Amino acid sequence: MVKRFGGVAAVNGVSLALEPGRIYGLIGPNGSGKTTLFNCITGVDQADEGEILFKGRRIERMKPHQIFHLGVGRTFQVIRVFPELTALENLLVVTTSGYAEAQRRARELLALVKLERLAGEFAGNLSYGQQKLVEFIRVLMTDPEMILLDEPAAGVNRTLLNELLDAVRRLRDQGKTILLVEHDMKVVMGLCETVCVLDHGEKLAEGAPGVIQADERVIEAYFGR
Amino acid sequence: MGVLITPSMIGQVVISGLLAGSLYAMVALGLGLIFGVMRVLNVAHGPLLMMGAYTTFWLFQWIGFNPYLSLLISMPLLFLVGVALQRFLVRRVVDAPELSSLLLTFGVSIALVNLAQLAFTSDLRAVEYLTGSFVVGPFALSKPRLATCGFAIAITLGAFVFLRSTRLGKAIRAVSQSREVAQVCGIDVQRIHLITFGLGSALAAAGGSLVAVMVAIQPEMGQVYTFKSFLVIVLGGAGNYPGALLGGLLLGLVEQLASLFLTAQVNEAVAYVLLVVVLLIRPTGLLKGRV
Amino acid sequence: MKRWFPAALAVLAVGLALYPLQATGYGVRVMLQLFMWIALAQSWNLISGLTGYVSFGHVVFFGTGAYASSILIVTLGWAWPLACLGGGAVAAVLALLIGWPCLRLKGPYFAIATLGLNEVMRVVVSYYEGLTGGGNGLSLPTLYASVEIYYAMGLVAAAVTVVTYVIVTSRFGLRLMTIREDEVAAEAMGIDTLRYKLYAFLLSAAAPGIVGGLSARDQGYIEPLSVFPLIMTITMIVMALFGGKGTIWGPVLGAALLFAFQEVVWARFIYLHQLLFGAIIVGVVLLMPRGILGVLQQKYNLPRTI
Repeated sequence: MVKRFGGVAAVNGVSLALEPGRIYGLIGPNGSGKTTLFNCITGVDQADEGEILFKGRRIERMKPHQIFHLGVGRTFQVIRVFPELTALENLLVVTTSGYAEAQRRARELLALVKLERLAGEFAGNLSYGQQKLVEFIRVLMTDPEMILLDEPAAGVNRTLLNELLDAVRRLRDQGKTILLVEHDMKVVMGLCETVCVLDHGEKLAEGAPGVIQADERVIEAYFGR
Repeated sequence: MGVLITPSMIGQVVISGLLAGSLYAMVALGLGLIFGVMRVLNVAHGPLLMMGAYTTFWLFQWIGFNPYLSLLISMPLLFLVGVALQRFLVRRVVDAPELSSLLLTFGVSIALVNLAQLAFTSDLRAVEYLTGSFVVGPFALSKPRLATCGFAIAITLGAFVFLRSTRLGKAIRAVSQSREVAQVCGIDVQRIHLITFGLGSALAAAGGSLVAVMVAIQPEMGQVYTFKSFLVIVLGGAGNYPGALLGGLLLGLVEQLASLFLTAQVNEAVAYVLLVVVLLIRPTGLLKGRV
Repeated sequence: MKRWFPAALAVLAVGLALYPLQATGYGVRVMLQLFMWIALAQSWNLISGLTGYVSFGHVVFFGTGAYASSILIVTLGWAWPLACLGGGAVAAVLALLIGWPCLRLKGPYFAIATLGLNEVMRVVVSYYEGLTGGGNGLSLPTLYASVEIYYAMGLVAAAVTVVTYVIVTSRFGLRLMTIREDEVAAEAMGIDTLRYKLYAFLLSAAAPGIVGGLSARDQGYIEPLSVFPLIMTITMIVMALFGGKGTIWGPVLGAALLFAFQEVVWARFIYLHQLLFGAIIVGVVLLMPRGILGVLQQKYNLPRTI
């Protein structure tokens, strides 16, 4: 897939194939095109060339909300909860199921991350870590089949991070496809089964974490020549 | 309709359109600078133009001052007014959601219009200075329009040279593109904002002084220019200053062409319809603008 | 707050219902106008307060409703209640037609587009002289119905407030608010923002349409300049803002206070009226952009349903 901004190809001929029940990591130096790739998959941006298929369906021209309803959820690099809605309301707006059903599921998820007592608090008043959790469980409200996480570890303390990673592993065990963008190498290497490296919009390498870590080209890309 | 349209009619219309368009371009450039640098939609642009027109009128009325020379007075005067407005009011709504700047400048606008009504009454005024036309071949070139066009072009070109070549002009363009980067480069952004609003007001005033010779002067005369300036900015692309020039000329042309086929009343609507159509097809403007 | 409020409302409602029985004709017309402004401010709040999309030409729905219903009365002989509802329907259709392309535009451009729409409609109405009387205006058959129109206006104002309450307390309303908070995130979370914006826009146009028709019927005469003025849009915006945009009772409060102020000031300081209004606008924008109820909400952590 290719995506250009003006004359610059942010993503230049990247091909990926993702299977269910696995966790994939997407890494690369800043400006390598990771978030652009995410945006194209979720419909926030539109690819200039190439195809994006989800369960056999072409989605590259679809609007974000349509892609969401097909079963693709995402979180954002900069937390995007709705600040003037309560934590509970942040979750409620997402589903199309009946009000009672939605309430039940929302409270269930809040309990999962131990935030039930903050259900009625405005999301904008929550701490960074709490907002991060709300954004995370918000994605889970509709039980999507594929989840894209944009820097889930950013700014998160050790304890919280471990809980998040456990949750991600459990999702993987349920058969979901997980793709995450991350700068924290420990997280990536410890969590992901396959790692894909982007550099200047192109795919540099793809493989198991151990292989990638030893790859010279990857080291060069990160630390310069 | 049974009207035969000859090439010379088209030619006449094109010429009239370009003459009118040059004025639109100059006034719109003022608005565009304010929007580009501060993201402020200045609804008070028309009243500023009106004040320029009254300056010219009273100078002419009291001491017979040459209307075209009065540009040398109205422009600096309104520059200062603009700086004052920015310093005390507009500064608070820079970068605010559009509702704030729209309402604030609207408030300023009706205050200015009301002040003018109190001070000058709503009686129609006129500056009888230049009338008649040159006849060149099959075309009639109205003298006041020619003079207006000439001055408008001169002032607009001057503005472009200023923006392109002087340090201050480049600083303005820098802030217009990215405020943070400009700050990091040591540009005093507050000062730039003051100067930009002053400049925008001065350009509006220039428009007022020039049209003072051609149209009836009254407190509400500016409103139509506000809207047309918005249109030109949208046409040319926000933050795209050469685009404002093209947009102005295009508007002038379209208006005059429309007057060939439609009645005068609908002529007014043409500008508005053009705006809505352009917004729908290319919200970033005909040339590339920043949204 | 919770217990005495409905009771107080009920008392107020009864008071307003009985008012025409012992008020002067002038008094009835004044109150009728107040109801009109409440309906207008509340309607603007529905689109701009909730979704954040600033409709800067909202009076276009008022004017369109005024002309549509007046034409229905004059050329088709409809009774005014039905004609006014027709005016509201026409306004809603206009909102749909214009909203479909324009709600895709971003902030300042949507505002300019709606302003443009207002001017276009004004000129279009002037153009079709045969139907609308053009610049000479349109006169309605003489009718003394101020009291009936008073009740009709009151009903519309109440209805819009009720609709606002229902929306704000529903998931539909929450979704509208997400558009205001973060439209990109809302889309990513499966909310078809264009559709929701359209619904809100439609709803926000109906009441001004009806109220436009009622106002036209009450005045007995309309002309393009009187029903499409920018100052009306600004007034309804400032009312909603002053009371608290995005709240339920904010527009009502703002309309009541500003209307009272206008009545008092206009009578005494005719020449300074515009200047003072300009000062108020500037004051509200700079000093209390959240409005009275907005400020109270923040300070005392009040629920959204005030």
